[in-house]
Amino acid sequence: MKDPLVIFWTVLLFGSIAWYGFLVFYIGIKAGGEIRTLIKDLTAENARVDEIAQRDR
Amino acid sequence: MTLALIDWIIIGVYIVGCLSAGLWMRRFVRSVDDFTVAGREVHVNLGIASLAATELGLVTVMYTAQLGYEKGFAGAIIGVIMAIAFLFVGSTGFVIEPLRNAGVMTIPELFEKRFSTRVRWLAGVFVALGGLLNMGIFLRLGGDFLVHVTGMPGSWLESVMTILLGLVLLYTVFGGMLSVLITDYLQFLVVGVGIVVTSVLVILHIGWGHLIDGLNAAWTAGHAAGAKTAAHPFNPADPSNFGWGYLAWQFVFQLAVVTTWQTTISRVLATKDSGTARQMYRRVSFYFVGRFLLPGLWGAAAFVYFTQHGGLPSGLDSSTAMPRYLGIVLPAGFLGLIIAAMIAAEMSTVSGYMLTWATVIYNDIITPCLKRPLSSKGQLFLTRSILFAIAAFLLFYGLWYQMPGNAWDYLAVTGNIYLASVFALLVAGLYWPRANTTGAYAALILGAIGPLTFLVVNAVVAKNHQIAPEVAGASSFALAFLGMIVGSLVTSAPAKVPAGNSV
Repeated sequence: MKDPLVIFWTVLLFGSIAWYGFLVFYIGIKAGGEIRTLIKDLTAENARVDEIAQRDR
Repeated sequence: MTLALIDWIIIGVYIVGCLSAGLWMRRFVRSVDDFTVAGREVHVNLGIASLAATELGLVTVMYTAQLGYEKGFAGAIIGVIMAIAFLFVGSTGFVIEPLRNAGVMTIPELFEKRFSTRVRWLAGVFVALGGLLNMGIFLRLGGDFLVHVTGMPGSWLESVMTILLGLVLLYTVFGGMLSVLITDYLQFLVVGVGIVVTSVLVILHIGWGHLIDGLNAAWTAGHAAGAKTAAHPFNPADPSNFGWGYLAWQFVFQLAVVTTWQTTISRVLATKDSGTARQMYRRVSFYFVGRFLLPGLWGAAAFVYFTQHGGLPSGLDSSTAMPRYLGIVLPAGFLGLIIAAMIAAEMSTVSGYMLTWATVIYNDIITPCLKRPLSSKGQLFLTRSILFAIAAFLLFYGLWYQMPGNAWDYLAVTGNIYLASVFALLVAGLYWPRANTTGAYAALILGAIGPLTFLVVNAVVAKNHQIAPEVAGASSFALAFLGMIVGSLVTSAPAKVPAGNSV
């Protein structure tokens, strides 16, 4: 285990496991909020387009 | 079959949930812009989830595990190089900033503004050709995983993958990028949990010290015996592993991938602005280390396990050893979780890729040939029809094509059909005012020669006469840039205003 290359890969591997675990929670919460915003924006945009279409008719 | 009831429940809940979410998004699709770039409403974290989910497919897990099996942890150096490339581009805005600011839907669309309509069309053909050939092996490799991890009969592979493709096609056709984003988000979560849990279980099963000792012992013994297959498991620059030449090519190749690969760039183009795109690249960069390293761990563990248990059972190879190993070591419930995660990975990648190539075919190959623009409904119908055609191609090509060499080399070389030439066009078009249309044609054609020659020659000649992937790859980059420089310099300067001012 004293080989620097083995230490390099060990650090990267356990760092990756920790990073993936963190991202699942962090991105899970943040991106979940962004999806709600996206859907709200799209719903508002659809309503606006429908309103214009009805007015034009 | 090695699946218990709990495994089936986990898989079933995931598939139904994902399909429902994807289909629900169809109500928001009003235009081709909604369908292909989600109305450019994507924020940074959703962009990260979508980019990560799309670029981590079941095919990725298979080829990175194969690299881990054949080359040990050193096989994951490609992920490290890719992470460096993402970080560099995210920090500098190289290519992606002017590309996002141009407001285009695809990369070839930019070439019309910078060069000509015909260059856009030709680039579109190359992008679609390289992308579709690249994607051609996804179903077969994904099916191999499911067959070996579940223990289901090999004859079921085609039927299972056809059903899976049908489900993906269903929500992608209806909801386009909006469905892809939502399902990518779910898939990102399931894949993340599955990969972390599986990696921990694999380490607990094999033992970290035992794994390192096993890899070292195999290398020492194989090297002493002069075995050609023995690669240094920790040093990627060692001649027995990738070697410096291959690594040098990978630095250029990965820089081209993160700036040019259309499935990655489609996330850049869907972001709210170029600042969001750069932030997304910086934050997602380290994810790509794990993308190679964690499945690589499973492959390396499979290698040590089978080496110490009498060698690979018949019918297995370096690609299928990992799923068989996981089928042995994962307990009920966890097996369902990893299968659901891998199905998620397959679905997110296939949906993202199908949509991307359909967008290129619609936007850059068909639209420039139309005399009158289609109505909004006509545009949507056409894009959806192309999605069906791509699915049919995947079923046909994926079932009969036999790969020359390993999966990673195939993917790298087919991607290179357009990566080298389009990268040369992008860099020159954005940063070299002297670049002109003749140079663009020369770069497109010359850049495709290397990888196409690789595919044709390696399919017909004996193994010891085949072209090395780094030779085919590096020569295509060199030829593309040479074509651009010489073609531009020997003809008159462009009349149009350079890209920095006009796009």
